[in-house]
Amino acid sequence: MGLITKCVAIVLVGVSALAVAEEGDRDSWRDRTSFSGTVEAEWGIETTTGDTQKFEIQILPEWNFDLTDNLALTMIGRIRVDAIDDLEPGRPNQGEIAWPSRRWLIGDPLELELREFYVETSVGETYLTLGKQQVVWGQADGLKVLDVVNPQDFREFVLDDFEDSRIPLWTVNAEIPIKALTLQLLWIPDLTYHNIPEFDATYAFESNVPTAPPFIPFAINDFDRPNNPLKDSDVGARLSAFVGGWDLTLNYFYHYDDTPVVRRGFGLTELGFGIVAQPGYERTHLIGGTFSNAFGDLTLRGEVGYSTNKFQATENLLDRDGVVETGELAYVLGFDWFGFSETFVSLQLFQSVLTDDSDGLLRDRVETNLSLNLQRDFMNDSLIAEALWVHNINHSDGFIRPKISYEWRSDTKVWAGFDIFYGSEQGLFGQYDRRDRAVLGIEWSF
Amino acid sequence: MKRLLLIAFVLAGPVSVAELEGAPSGDEVVANINARDEGEFVTRRLTMRLVDRRGKERERETFGYRRYFGDEKRSVIYYLSPANIKDTGFLTFDYADPAKDDDQWLYLPATRKSRRISSSDRGDSFLGTDLSYDDMKKESKISAEDYTQETVGEAVVDGHHCYILESLPVDEKTAKELGYGKVRGWVDSKIWMVRKSEFWDVRMNPLKTMHVSDIRQVDGIWTVHKMEVKNTKSGHTTIFTFEDVDYKADVPEDVFSERALRRGAPVR
Repeated sequence: MGLITKCVAIVLVGVSALAVAEEGDRDSWRDRTSFSGTVEAEWGIETTTGDTQKFEIQILPEWNFDLTDNLALTMIGRIRVDAIDDLEPGRPNQGEIAWPSRRWLIGDPLELELREFYVETSVGETYLTLGKQQVVWGQADGLKVLDVVNPQDFREFVLDDFEDSRIPLWTVNAEIPIKALTLQLLWIPDLTYHNIPEFDATYAFESNVPTAPPFIPFAINDFDRPNNPLKDSDVGARLSAFVGGWDLTLNYFYHYDDTPVVRRGFGLTELGFGIVAQPGYERTHLIGGTFSNAFGDLTLRGEVGYSTNKFQATENLLDRDGVVETGELAYVLGFDWFGFSETFVSLQLFQSVLTDDSDGLLRDRVETNLSLNLQRDFMNDSLIAEALWVHNINHSDGFIRPKISYEWRSDTKVWAGFDIFYGSEQGLFGQYDRRDRAVLGIEWSF
Repeated sequence: MKRLLLIAFVLAGPVSVAELEGAPSGDEVVANINARDEGEFVTRRLTMRLVDRRGKERERETFGYRRYFGDEKRSVIYYLSPANIKDTGFLTFDYADPAKDDDQWLYLPATRKSRRISSSDRGDSFLGTDLSYDDMKKESKISAEDYTQETVGEAVVDGHHCYILESLPVDEKTAKELGYGKVRGWVDSKIWMVRKSEFWDVRMNPLKTMHVSDIRQVDGIWTVHKMEVKNTKSGHTTIFTFEDVDYKADVPEDVFSERALRRGAPVR
């Protein structure tokens, strides 16, 4: 029995025992528990072909139970069915996901997942959250520097809500107040990494992917992934403070980078001797911080992070394994403007700089992205019009997402929008230029 | 006989101050309102029923805390329902120095982040209701530094004798920030609470009306339990209902922190 399995078993046994202890008082049980959730259906139609890209129904039930006055349990599940099954065709092998965090695939289109399952309690001044959960760091919207504690599911590239695309991990999360500061400590023995779409998926990665020269046999080995939950676990710390009107944090995260490093070598393939790619994961130290403050109509926020031991693919054929080790400095500066009534305007500058400037790197040494988010509320917030524009300066590619949503009733919301990519196929966003889509959705909450 | 006098008084409508002896000045009325005890801390449930001009209803159930730290007021409100916005939280530090902007944070469960937001949009609708952020922050008090006040008459509202207080923003900038060109309030002369208000926009067009229909004492403190605010321009109405008001249960200081905000509502 693996360590994570043991942890789950301990939590379950503990929860059951405590639940039994409370069983005597049924009225109390009713007061201490709540059940809610959402049912969401979204239809995506590709605008270039008129084909349906997805027709998905997602049910997210949430159960909260106060086991005692100082122990609360939260359980969030997800039932998801996509009738089209092009985002993840067939049954993906989930090789990047540690098995306690995997989805249960029933047939091709249907999957069940225990999204979150954790208990919260206080021990003295320390607040503990134990179990499968999401931990979100950083101040940026959409562009990630420090929000890397949880890996991401890229089945819809970056179009899915982060709440849905972030992969929750089995985590020990402690928040310790130290006078006016808060120290958060994380231990994550869950060896799960980004879920990268397979080659036949709608949003398969095509840009910046190393390829073999023509007519040379090519093969990709299975992922070489860390397998010792103790030795290979991630650890992190965040110190937060509110000082002189500033929200400040200092962050440190020692972790495996969730993006696989694909090393190339020579070996035997099905077609003979050729190039063999070996995907794996590498450790990195991430150190950084965040800040935010409001000045009249303007809110300034930002985050910065430096990562050691990042591995970038290179086209240099003389390179031994096809990757170059480098450090990476990344930062986001965000400006939120509240000067117009019922209107929100947000501009962000994101820049990533590699410390190594070797020739042949598949990405530029300095990558710059800009984002603009506009939102206006109408009819007492029942109608919201918004648009997000993300643009990459290096490749002149990006995407635009206009959307209008209407709260029809307290429990029902409908929306319509477009996800439009543009630019070079070599660009991170431009590679999906042919995947532009219109979306229609409805969400019912209970 | 008393009832007859009361009816005659109501039918006669507001009586100008010039006709009455001993009516307090506008500043005195405001001072009495603001001196009213509202407890060092409070917990309460607030249900907001939003009704548009066609009668379509939406409802939000919230839970909130408020606590004074000396002259500084801190408050936090969490959504309990509907489920799609459950655990959305709004935290405010309201400083005694009017020159110092409030600090505000909004926690959105959809992003799992608390976001620093500007407090300059105080005239904007508070989370889609027909009151503004500033109205909600002041609760049933009046900001003396934002308005010049005058007692312009007396009337009876729901059987209670009231002074009619007319408030004008101190300057154009303040009027634009607040979104009001004039506010007229009917202030209960015994308990110094506003029972009814009328608001005009900055162009002096009628904007909205407020009627407080249920005021009761809780733990010896006069407390609003129900009020209805109607926007006369849009036809939209919000009905605020306060329940489970408790001034005695201690509210821990730690509740008013960004880390507590991220944990979501402490009640179901």
